[in-house]
Amino acid sequence: MRGGIPYGSTVLASGTCGSGKTTLAMEFLVRGALAGEACAHFTATEPSVKLLENIRQYAFFDMNMVDTGLINVFDMDVLYSWLGLDKSTFDLDDVHALIKSITDIVNTIGVTRLVIDSVTTLCYKIKSEQLIRDFLFTLGKKLATLGCTTILISEITSATENAHWSSFGVEEAIADGIVVMGDVERMGHLLRFLQVVKMRGTSHSRAKHAIELTPLGVMLTPMLKWGSQTDSANWGA
Amino acid sequence: MIMFELDQRIAEQLSTISLNSSVQVRCGNSNAFMVTASTMLPLMQMFEMGGVYITASRGAVEIIQAFESIGVDVSNIQFIDLVSSGILGGTDVEYSNIHFVDSPIMLESVLLRTLYILRTTSSARNFVFIDSVNALAIYNEDRMLAEYLHTFINTFRQREVLSIILNVPDQTPPLVLSNLDLYCTDLVDRGQVVIH
Repeated sequence: MRGGIPYGSTVLASGTCGSGKTTLAMEFLVRGALAGEACAHFTATEPSVKLLENIRQYAFFDMNMVDTGLINVFDMDVLYSWLGLDKSTFDLDDVHALIKSITDIVNTIGVTRLVIDSVTTLCYKIKSEQLIRDFLFTLGKKLATLGCTTILISEITSATENAHWSSFGVEEAIADGIVVMGDVERMGHLLRFLQVVKMRGTSHSRAKHAIELTPLGVMLTPMLKWGSQTDSANWGA
Repeated sequence: MIMFELDQRIAEQLSTISLNSSVQVRCGNSNAFMVTASTMLPLMQMFEMGGVYITASRGAVEIIQAFESIGVDVSNIQFIDLVSSGILGGTDVEYSNIHFVDSPIMLESVLLRTLYILRTTSSARNFVFIDSVNALAIYNEDRMLAEYLHTFINTFRQREVLSIILNVPDQTPPLVLSNLDLYCTDLVDRGQVVIH
């Protein structure tokens, strides 16, 4: 991407399990904290303690970022409990309470980089497609107004050519940007890839890039053209 | 220590090249290690370079021990081993300068791992050494390997990292070989006569 994610954008990071979504999102936050920005991570998939333990792998991470309030991690379960949302299904009022709670936190701390991991887990509690759309649209709009750049992590089961880029099919229409992460299978080995499908407000490559998760962060290189398709198409299997 | 005669003409030839060069080194089956050592030693000792040695032909331990047997310390060189991970227990080694990639088909991972190592190394001048194109050709389709070498050479040329590409010409696919002739700036030819 030429110039990075545009300020105030809501970006959907969709990917299969183990594709590096959380790692990418954590690097987005740590890089922000390094630049002195306040960052927040709402986690619905793993406890905050475990998440923080995983960030320690980065050579550029410093626990001071957490101690000084530059990186703030919130457990969604704690937030639900705090809001009295300990239930399996959310209605319109619950969704509005959740949006208000998230935006209040962003506003109070002055968060400029936010990650919700994952929006899929959160949206499982919202039964109507229309309500999911309203939730994401309103949240994205309010966060953009607050000058907050947001990554919404979405879990998908396949990242191949015919796959959807989101779990519910509505997230992708609302997001300013879509980054897809997955694996290319090459002779029984899985090679991680990242592809920027859409990013409003900036020009960018739409090619698949191979990635490696390293202590210096996510490193990427264009995927070989003769090796970018999964399995049979390339290997005649 | 094993008595070993190096090919001094390789050192002379290497003294004329620059960091953004890419050198194709052709060897035969019988002289592969002599040519490798004759190329590596001047880089490490005369030019005081650090670097990354990518091995697809043999396990890195075997190569390190081969260098040790001729009295050469390669602890300053980082090895990327594409072979041993596929062997049960093959990654349990005593050398801290060996990095493993699962398979020689993970070509992009090799490139990224090399870039990562170069970003964390303290040497100001570095080389990357591929051992060897014919070993990579066992696992990779010709067009993909040709594309990869094109990417690899240009990536390191831009970064002023000397790339050395070892191959046994009569075991290297013609498409790959002709592309190497095109991309590489220099040729050290200690190979066999090639009849296609």
